[in-house]
Amino acid sequence: MGFLAPALIELLASGGQLMLKVRIKSESHGNFYHPTIPLEINLSCAAGELHALVGPSGSGKTTTLRAIAGLHQPELGLIECADKVWFSALQANQVAINLSPAERSCGFLFQQYALFPHLSALHNVAIALENSGLSKIDRLAQSHEWLKRMAMSEFADRLPSQLSGGQQQRVALARALARNPQVLLLDEPFSAIDNPTRQNLYRILAELREDLAIPIILVTHDLREANLLADSITVIDHGIGLQTSAPNELFQKPRNSRVAELVGIPNVFQGIFNAGRLDWQDNDCHFEVLDKGKIPPASPVAWVVPQDGLTVHSQAADHFLPAQVEHLSSLGQIAVVRFSIGRAKESLVWEASAAEIKRLKIKLGSTAYLEFDAHKIHIMPLRPINDPRRLLQ
Amino acid sequence: MIDTQAIFLSLQLAACTLLIILPFGIWLAHHLVSAGKWKPWLEALLALPLVLPPTVLGYYLLVGFSGKTLFGEPMVFSFLGILIASLIVNLPFAIQPIQRAFEAIPPTLQEAAQVCGLKPWQIFYRINLPLAWRGVLSAAVLTFAHTLGEFGVILMIGGAIPGKTKTASIAIYDQVQSFNTQGAGMLSLLLLGISLCAIAISYGFFGSSSNRIARQRWAANA
Repeated sequence: MGFLAPALIELLASGGQLMLKVRIKSESHGNFYHPTIPLEINLSCAAGELHALVGPSGSGKTTTLRAIAGLHQPELGLIECADKVWFSALQANQVAINLSPAERSCGFLFQQYALFPHLSALHNVAIALENSGLSKIDRLAQSHEWLKRMAMSEFADRLPSQLSGGQQQRVALARALARNPQVLLLDEPFSAIDNPTRQNLYRILAELREDLAIPIILVTHDLREANLLADSITVIDHGIGLQTSAPNELFQKPRNSRVAELVGIPNVFQGIFNAGRLDWQDNDCHFEVLDKGKIPPASPVAWVVPQDGLTVHSQAADHFLPAQVEHLSSLGQIAVVRFSIGRAKESLVWEASAAEIKRLKIKLGSTAYLEFDAHKIHIMPLRPINDPRRLLQ
Repeated sequence: MIDTQAIFLSLQLAACTLLIILPFGIWLAHHLVSAGKWKPWLEALLALPLVLPPTVLGYYLLVGFSGKTLFGEPMVFSFLGILIASLIVNLPFAIQPIQRAFEAIPPTLQEAAQVCGLKPWQIFYRINLPLAWRGVLSAAVLTFAHTLGEFGVILMIGGAIPGKTKTASIAIYDQVQSFNTQGAGMLSLLLLGISLCAIAISYGFFGSSSNRIARQRWAANA
């Protein structure tokens, strides 16, 4: 790590000012053969922070990453890192500043690694230092250090075709970091490797975050992975950043029903919200719910209740909702119950331990009584699915 | 008796053609990969010598070059004339394999090279050219073998001046015309041998390297 010291001291001296700010927008263009999706992303990532971009395939995650690296030019926007502007176009297609990828100081880990097949592992790393001003001996020495750090020293002379997927990825990561980049961009790094290799890479990434105080952007379609690794998550759909928040907040307070759908939150219902009162199932049920006053009166809304906001009882009470057990499946010590509620027969999924199921005497077709904690109910604007642009209007 | 003069002239023509056409072919093929909307027209123009009868091309060159000089040398019935004709005829053989080789390089590698901070000439020299070497070798072999065998265009623009424009294939024709079948047979056999060697060497290169990669892959997975 000796050779990294000057860069680290410089980073520490800057007081963590190595902030990446991205605000880009493109209309949908392209043609039938080469369609391009619209893009509207606004994110910032501080030094040492790991920011995940999550969304379904074709949602614009990789395009965003490519725009940061200078491999894709958005129509307008601003990309700056460490107070240096990398891209600036304040009006559509009137680009004032557009640094080349070489000038941007990005470490980019490509999805398929993109190692140069004719170069050994060592030279694949050394080529990133080609224009560093170092002598060839120093370039090779630094590259050796990086390979050593990635536990790849013994494979330094091998061609990429002689390395396994995980080994190739470590070489690619060493290459991405060799230039001491100001930003590290990871494009689905865990998608094509087996589980033990993935765990190993998680560990390497965790160590890197401690050592290199730079913003790290991770693109993934695996929300569990993002939840595990990221400090903040931006959910992208159809090129539009729907929500940026900490993982916990994302799961507990999705901004709208599409975010809830994308992050896989169960038990999303629809109701009418009117000045603190949520009506559900044609006024059959009412909850007194807190909100920030952003939702207009008598608005149709989507609402979710987390698992800890729901209690199941075997006896009826005034404010309990009767629910019929529609489906019951046991998976070892865990059981999943699907209740059918009210006249609309809306389904609610509930997970509990096998002991809890036994205690409540839950059986297929039996009736249980649900108690909702209204303080934990989260309401959000409703909008037609598959039309994320409605959000921007 | 083998017409060694014709053989040497053919080898000299093939070597000069290679020396000029390979750097030009590499440059043009590299630019053709991203030529945009003019690409089909440029490719069609470059492929024209493949379908045009050699005598037709030879006729146009003869008419176009007649009475003109370059570097003080006449452009018809001279070595310079047959060299220019050879360069034109060999354009598709030199450019197409190199262009295909450049096109086969995944675009992600170009992007990875850009992100690594390489300048465009470094990307060409360090990444693209080494990855396209098979195409370059293939182009060299095809051009060399084709130049040795070229007949129609050379005869039209160069005639058959011994030591100047009478290449091996023209010498074979001349010897058959004068019933020297033994001389024609020897020359033919020699040309056959040279062409076979050139192609076998190139196949040997491709074969051995692909076998080596297969062995390396096997070793890595074992």
